[in-house]
Amino acid sequence: MHTSKKHRITLIGLILSLPLVIYVHLISGQIDVSFNDYIEALFSFDSDNTNHFIAREIRIPRMFMALFAGAGLSVAGLLMQTLFNNPLAGPYVLGINSGSSLFVAFTFMTGIPLLTSDIGIVSAALIGAFIFGLIILSFSYFVRSHISLLLIGLMLGSFTSALVYIMQTASNSHELKAFTMWAMGSLQNVDIVQIPFICSLFLLGIITAFFIIKPLNVLVIGEKDAKLLGINYRLVRIIIIIITALLTGLITAYCGPIAFVGLAVPNLVKIIFKSQNHLILLISSILIGGNFVLICDIFIQLLENNMNIPINAITSLIGAPFIVFIVLKKLA
Amino acid sequence: MIQFKNTHIGYTVPALFTIDNIVLEKNSVYILVGENGSGKSTFLRTIIKHEKILQGDILLNGKSTRGISDNSISKHVAFVSTTFPQVDYLRVTEFIGMGRTPHTNALGRFSENDHRIVKEALEKLNISKLAHKFTSELSDGERQLCAIAKAIAQETNIIILDEPTAFLDYSNKIKVLNVLKQIAIEMNKCIILSSHDIDLSINANCPFLVLNKTTTKMEFLPPPIEKEKLILLAF
Repeated sequence: MHTSKKHRITLIGLILSLPLVIYVHLISGQIDVSFNDYIEALFSFDSDNTNHFIAREIRIPRMFMALFAGAGLSVAGLLMQTLFNNPLAGPYVLGINSGSSLFVAFTFMTGIPLLTSDIGIVSAALIGAFIFGLIILSFSYFVRSHISLLLIGLMLGSFTSALVYIMQTASNSHELKAFTMWAMGSLQNVDIVQIPFICSLFLLGIITAFFIIKPLNVLVIGEKDAKLLGINYRLVRIIIIIITALLTGLITAYCGPIAFVGLAVPNLVKIIFKSQNHLILLISSILIGGNFVLICDIFIQLLENNMNIPINAITSLIGAPFIVFIVLKKLA
Repeated sequence: MIQFKNTHIGYTVPALFTIDNIVLEKNSVYILVGENGSGKSTFLRTIIKHEKILQGDILLNGKSTRGISDNSISKHVAFVSTTFPQVDYLRVTEFIGMGRTPHTNALGRFSENDHRIVKEALEKLNISKLAHKFTSELSDGERQLCAIAKAIAQETNIIILDEPTAFLDYSNKIKVLNVLKQIAIEMNKCIILSSHDIDLSINANCPFLVLNKTTTKMEFLPPPIEKEKLILLAF
């Protein structure tokens, strides 16, 4: 078939582009760190060498976080779009991020050291994302209209931000600072020693998604018809919510809220591949999502001397107009 | 193939209607007729276990549906909904291939056999030329044929269609009815469809299942059907 051949060529192109984008990302910081420095930093690390230090402690973790954030949020968005049969669904618009933010805010405000540790914040973000996922899922039973569900997601987000503001005013300056730093969102909050832990949770979510390709492919025609074909819908939807909460919560915990990636990338993927085969959609969401956030972060690095742009701002600047384009295209 | 034994159909007691004892055989199309709200869709959904049987039993090939799990009913009965899903970028072959869902493994991998069955379903309905089109590009008539092809790919003995001719023009209504009759005979299937197209259905020369308005019982009417008698019974 022509299409599968075209798909293969595009996929190979994407796979090849990723190492290239990663390389450009690594060398595009303000301080020149050569490829050799990276090799040495990994295999014969010299803690007195500034370039080694930058490579190992700043650039490599940042590159991984951009990759994880892009790929993870895109997969989460793809799963939500299929679950709710709604091309405009995503972890951000449905308020899954805000669940994480609310719970992380809670833990910061408690000021208890155990809770404000790494594990504490990640757990809070995961639990928050999962609970808000369940809330949206239960709303989806009463709300048949796609647009209404999105509005409820946005309201959930607004309501939660209000709660977070109130908590901020009631907290002391130390807690406030910690939370504000987190809420700004950044790919630079992670040390290299944290990468294996983050990577394993990330892979857990991504790999699980590959095991539900069959039900995802059938869910495309809607919950009712999928059930008629023997799909265990109750089980599948809870797996989808768990994967989405895991990926969104993980990324929100370490990078803060990042908007529009989960919404825009799966739509871009569907336009490029014109397919509903979730094997292709998953692989290409990972690749395009990873590439997309890496490229956004390359721009941030290039402008770093003049201004410090949060990653969330760049993804919104590109993502929001793209979504408007998608909506207009659907109406036309 | 399907046997109803003192079956009570409905959401709550008292039942919408009851079926004393009706046996539906293979190689035949049964046309279900009744007023709006009389319980046609409820009846069809009860066979696929989406509604509970209030009383009595339904046997598929001698086996009670109570003993068949919700997920494996799809190996016995294929169901064609009234509405066709509106999805972007879904190709006809992919859609018909979904009929293989109950038969493929947990990862949904297609065997040679699965591909062959999808191809044969396309050929059976004379829609091979649509194979690589997107379902969003099809006409209403073509969509209905695709939905039937998907049911064929599911390889069940029983196919149920909820108002398959509702959104079609005159020539497509006749086409769909003829295709279903042909499939029932050639592929040894038992097909049940609900319909409001009384005249067309009578001309199809098929047995009727009529929901009697006065007795709230389902009645079996073999062809030839007298239109006046039918209308008196059902409406």
